[in-house]
Amino acid sequence: MLAGCSATTIVVDGSYPSPLVRKLPLTIGVYYPEELRNFAYTEIDDNSGKDQYIVQSGTSQLELFNTVLPALFENVVMLDSLENANSENGIDAVFVPEIAEFQLGLPQKTKLKVYEIWMKYNMKLSKANGDYIADWVMTAYGKSPQENLQSVDSGVQGAAVVAMRDLAASLTFGFTTVPEVNEWLKANNYVTE
Amino acid sequence: MYKLMLVLLAVTALSGCTTTEIDEFRQGTTSLNVGESIVILGRRQNNNYETEGNFVECVANVVGGGNDGITVVPEQEFLDAMFPFFEPRTAPMRTTHLKQLMEIDQAKERLAQYGIEYIVWLDGLTQRSQQAGTISCTIGPGGGGCFGFGTWQDDSNFEAEVWDLDTLESVGSISTDAVGQSYMPALVVPIPLIARVEANACSGLGNQLKQFIAGKG
Repeated sequence: MLAGCSATTIVVDGSYPSPLVRKLPLTIGVYYPEELRNFAYTEIDDNSGKDQYIVQSGTSQLELFNTVLPALFENVVMLDSLENANSENGIDAVFVPEIAEFQLGLPQKTKLKVYEIWMKYNMKLSKANGDYIADWVMTAYGKSPQENLQSVDSGVQGAAVVAMRDLAASLTFGFTTVPEVNEWLKANNYVTE
Repeated sequence: MYKLMLVLLAVTALSGCTTTEIDEFRQGTTSLNVGESIVILGRRQNNNYETEGNFVECVANVVGGGNDGITVVPEQEFLDAMFPFFEPRTAPMRTTHLKQLMEIDQAKERLAQYGIEYIVWLDGLTQRSQQAGTISCTIGPGGGGCFGFGTWQDDSNFEAEVWDLDTLESVGSISTDAVGQSYMPALVVPIPLIARVEANACSGLGNQLKQFIAGKG
């Protein structure tokens, strides 16, 4: 009886491959804000107005960044707080990923035969002393086809993993093409083009 | 006993009503040497559908099966090994993109490690139409049962395009169109008489693809 009234919690659980790219010769400090670490999205039931699904993806997002960043940069230093960045030796820049939006498309609502997830991030890159380098938006999209006798949990998991991989692909190929980042990399001779 | 045999015969006859048509278009020669392999990938760029992983796996099993089976690298293993070059957003859509990809040392080396000679892109879906009839089921203290009749048509349309990693050109394509009508009569118990449309499309396409890559098709 109680189970029928409470929201279903879906914990996104995925493992991600390391990108096959040449590393940039940088030591990057990485700080994960509390909102990202514990990120959870709540889908509201249109009819009752109550919580229907809670999608917890914070742990999975951290796992993704922890896999992708060491493949992109020669050294990655995890930071407990942004204040610690300046005291850590040799940090060239500090990277902070922030999740800004999360949308879930369920087949029962969209009438499409796919589960969809769309995410928007604000990525920030600054010098170790906190000076601004770049601030840019990245989006990620994932979909997973609805199958017979499939649970909502499995459909959402599938779409979330595709969306996370999409984010990793965008970050891998897009990092050096962000104009301010590219300008900074060239100015410091980390890249030539 | 006689009635049971009649029912079984009817089931066999009705469940087999699928028509499969296969077309092949060859643009170049193909062959595979010992130690060389292929990979079969599903296209997932379309907004309205994506090629099902189960279908891709089914075709890979057909191509890799039998005495004349070809070595097929599993799709997920390949996608992970080549990450992020073959994700929906980044995968090469045309052979000109493949040429650009092969200019990246890491990608070229990884493809060589797997000994991949051909990339096969599968694109398509199975659509259901012409659904008709109703089945109603009831249950009570004395038991339950269903009564009615349902029918529907499945149409599987898939195309496989083969890219040669030596010439970096498309060497041809194979398309399959399988159509079948399924029936579900219910007299106390529903009896599903399912047309194996997607399975027939898979085996037809897989066998033709195997012949094509071996240079026999």
